[in-house]
Amino acid sequence: MSKQYLSCGSADKAHSTDVFSLAVTDKQILSASGASALQVHSTIDPDFPLVQTINGAHTAGCHHLVTNGNGSRAVSVGFGGEVKVWSYHNENWSEDRTALAGKAGSIDTWAVALSKDGQYLAGVSQDGHIRVWDLNTGGEQIHDYETKGSFGTCIDLSADGRFLATGHENGSIYIFNTESGRMPFSLSGLVKPVRAVAFSPGGRLLAAAGDSKVIVLYDTSSGEQVANLSGHGAWVLSLSWSYTGEYLLSGSFDGKVKVWSIDTRTCVATHSETERAVWSVKWLPKIEKPEGFATSGANRSISFYREVTGA
Amino acid sequence: MQRYSEAEGSPTLPHTPGIIQKYIEETLATVLEELSTSDGRPSISLRRRSKKPTLLINPMNGALEGNGPESRLIYSWPGKSAYEAWKFTVIFRVLAAIAENLHIGLVVSRRDIYYSDPNLFGTQKVVDDIVDDVAYTVGLDRSALNVEAAAKGLVVGSYQLKTSSGHVIDTQTSAIDTLVPSLQDIDEITISDSNWVLVVEKEAVYRRLVRLGYYTKALAGKGILITGKGYPDLSTRAFLRKLNESGSRSNKNLPFYALVDSDPDGMAIMSTYKYGSMAHTSENGRLNIPCLQWLGVRTSEVVAGALHNDNEDEASMSLTARDRKKIVAMLCNSPVWAVEGPEPEWRAELLLMLMLNLKAEIEILYDRKDGLERWIDQKMAGHS
Repeated sequence: MSKQYLSCGSADKAHSTDVFSLAVTDKQILSASGASALQVHSTIDPDFPLVQTINGAHTAGCHHLVTNGNGSRAVSVGFGGEVKVWSYHNENWSEDRTALAGKAGSIDTWAVALSKDGQYLAGVSQDGHIRVWDLNTGGEQIHDYETKGSFGTCIDLSADGRFLATGHENGSIYIFNTESGRMPFSLSGLVKPVRAVAFSPGGRLLAAAGDSKVIVLYDTSSGEQVANLSGHGAWVLSLSWSYTGEYLLSGSFDGKVKVWSIDTRTCVATHSETERAVWSVKWLPKIEKPEGFATSGANRSISFYREVTGA
Repeated sequence: MQRYSEAEGSPTLPHTPGIIQKYIEETLATVLEELSTSDGRPSISLRRRSKKPTLLINPMNGALEGNGPESRLIYSWPGKSAYEAWKFTVIFRVLAAIAENLHIGLVVSRRDIYYSDPNLFGTQKVVDDIVDDVAYTVGLDRSALNVEAAAKGLVVGSYQLKTSSGHVIDTQTSAIDTLVPSLQDIDEITISDSNWVLVVEKEAVYRRLVRLGYYTKALAGKGILITGKGYPDLSTRAFLRKLNESGSRSNKNLPFYALVDSDPDGMAIMSTYKYGSMAHTSENGRLNIPCLQWLGVRTSEVVAGALHNDNEDEASMSLTARDRKKIVAMLCNSPVWAVEGPEPEWRAELLLMLMLNLKAEIEILYDRKDGLERWIDQKMAGHS
């Protein structure tokens, strides 16, 4: 069974360099690149117009950008190591300097994730530390888990905020329970660097992928590997779950974007509009049918796709 | 030691060799005169280029240049501390060494000066900094002071040198690699049957190519191989620039290529050849090679498998903490790597290294099925 997704628009050359990260809210998509500005495009208008440019956000460029569930807060991490918190008020994003007060930036934080309510920020650092900060108390650090020191490349928080997962350069994958502060079990990990981890919306599964080109699904209650999704011919750089948890989206270094059915554990759609790296893939909120997603990467553009229904 | 800043602008002394001699002799004479009085307090004043100049790429010559306030340093004796007295003494000694060599027409190396009294100078850098400041103060090249760092670059290939004494040296007949010759001894370089110039970052790779005779066997024909053994010294850059000028004078479209590691140092070394060094911006306009083309190697190609390496897993390495810091500093501080700068591809490559935390060395090309030489052949063909 295959599904069809058609290109339904794009923000061509939205940035002047590789677009490394996408983050979505219920009506916008935010993007970060090797240039200093962040861009905000509307996703409720069919033409995806640019609605805000945040100039000078990160002097040397920005590699990670995340939003919380309702789109009131965003966090970005720049190549210079700085972490910035952004608030959405009156249709406008602006920096919230009180939320974190620069604490996360001085310790080489690399990848970040925001809790659904936007209160907690989780980050993994270049020396493998996993930390959690409370943004409602000025960025007070409430957790610091030490791992074996391998570069933390990616991080995700489960929707209920109870679990935290990180992927590392040495192939390790960790899951922490944020309530008990413990690792419920150790995961077998991957052989090669992990580049993306993502919890399913219900938190039952964790997907992880990277240089081994295979996407591995873990059962988060046992830590067991329950499936291997193979088909990518290059390093997998980004993963995103659809809002129902039925589909998983992946993007790879050779420009391929794939949609996987979790039910059948098969690839149901492949897109290859570019041969250059796809750094980020993101499902768009399912406000109206049909479902759609966005991709970005070395072609400097953001591309949008919608499912073809009723065929 | 006092220090104060002056308005923008560099010294504008006329460019005659005599002026250095005059400057040094006058300075030394004043000092001696002061010393001979009963409570003399001799002092030497030097200008120093701004430590934090605003860097820019000069659109006229493609060189990395800086402008910013320079500072003037006044060193007096005995000064307020033992450090000041020592500093005054070492400057005096360096000036005396330069004066002596100018007088007898000898070229002296910075190492020679340092080794004339290592206990006094302490480190080579002390001598280097003073030579730089003296050169800047009189507004001339360091070479005009007859002070050169010992040449460390190597070169091999087809070219003819006409020396200042009228000798003609034809490297075709010798065809062995030599130290890069000092430009003070060269009147003219003629490039007769060379079709390309390849600048190699590392000596080991250079030696391998020399051993393989690549400068005579390349698909693109005969050529010239040159290495600065890492960050190039002035002599290597000056010689390369002379080759470049000879190439364009003879209306021969002589391409210049760079083969460097895919890591921050490799990229910075390539930038030093093409745009100039961050430390000596005042000399870049006379030394840069704007036409230098990037042959490789690229981390992006290694990752994409485009190099078809047999042992893919060993092809790339993780960046060190120092590598990452260096890349960030390059992205933030130099206009060469700026977002709207002249080298978007270079910048993209640095960002890719940071994103993937990877780098790659030239040596990975050794393991390719067709070897390093065929890879260079293909790359040169792709650029021409």
